[in-house]
Amino acid sequence: MSGDHHGSSAISERVRHVEALLEARGLVDEGEIDRSIDDFLAGGSPVNGARITARAWVDPGFRDRLLADANAAIRELGLSMAGGLQEQRLKVVANTEDEHNVVVCTLCSCYPIALLGPSPSWYKSEAYRSRVVRDPRGVLAEFGLELPAGTRISVWDASAESRYMVVPRRPEGTDGRPEEALAALVTRNGLIGTAAV
Amino acid sequence: MADRFAPGDVVRTSTADPVWHTRLPRYARGAVGRVVELAGHHPLADDRARGRPGTAQAVYHVRFAAADLFGDGEHDVTVELWEDYLEPADEQGGTP
Amino acid sequence: MSRINDVGGMVGFPAIAEEPDEPAFHADWEAHVLALNAALIRRGVYNLDEFRDAIERMEPAAYLSSSYYEKWFTAITTLLVEKGVATPEELAVPGTDPGG
Repeated sequence: MSGDHHGSSAISERVRHVEALLEARGLVDEGEIDRSIDDFLAGGSPVNGARITARAWVDPGFRDRLLADANAAIRELGLSMAGGLQEQRLKVVANTEDEHNVVVCTLCSCYPIALLGPSPSWYKSEAYRSRVVRDPRGVLAEFGLELPAGTRISVWDASAESRYMVVPRRPEGTDGRPEEALAALVTRNGLIGTAAV
Repeated sequence: MADRFAPGDVVRTSTADPVWHTRLPRYARGAVGRVVELAGHHPLADDRARGRPGTAQAVYHVRFAAADLFGDGEHDVTVELWEDYLEPADEQGGTP
Repeated sequence: MSRINDVGGMVGFPAIAEEPDEPAFHADWEAHVLALNAALIRRGVYNLDEFRDAIERMEPAAYLSSSYYEKWFTAITTLLVEKGVATPEELAVPGTDPGG
């Protein structure tokens, strides 16, 4: 199954060989590769999504702006979707008492990397990509998320140019907590829709 | 060129099964859904993947009832689709 | 024709396996594959859609048995050959089978 990491030394040698060949041909340089990796690792993080979520919980005006034009709204927090090859459109959807949203890319692995960092391996797996559009309730239950029977589930397939983020529901009993403490409640799975928060 | 569809419009997706790269997933082909929102304008991925420049066209979030895609299910699935993949339809799925 | 990547709605795939505290990369070579691909797209050797296309054209059994970044590396080497940047023989580690 995909996601296994077998034959690691053989492929490692092949990658080194191709990289050296491309360096020799002047198509890449070593510094560029190292910088690119450093930038990637220092780029997006689920922490950004947690900050956005916490702000949306405490500031209804921000929430409205976020749902209407996420690229503009996240700039208010000093964040952007411009970290990749080009700025991508961000579409943010918010869970409510009646509706739960969950994101997938059935065709490949589209994900807001510039904002949230790399996606988890399960998000890229054929198992998740095939099953969540057909049986989201069953898939969410595997993640330990049992939704009430009356909650409508809305699946978003990232099949084109937008990237997606879910704003989870604010947990009960968190009134009056400071924004930073609220942000600490938010998980990466919550931002994809496979966890309640 | 003006966008062909607006939010609320009922559309039917193409049934074509191209041999090349395309971004209309198989499970959403030949299905009737409703345009939710414009998602920007971009050259068709099918063109770009074949080295053709293509001109920017509207891309839409289109919502389908799971029952219309799979025959059962109470959820909905919103797929992001280029205008070229869509034709106008009426509520019953026919051509208006 | 629908390609092997187009799995949405297919039945038969197993339960979803979560990996706790998963690192960004499981090995150094994965990071290099990601950076190589970004560099080649920046240089205009190929575009992102051609890259996706090359992944989708993988032989279905190989697609399903390859890890995520193994798929990427397969696509990169496919495109380097098709774009005339290098031959399969040049891309193979000396002393190994270029088809491998």
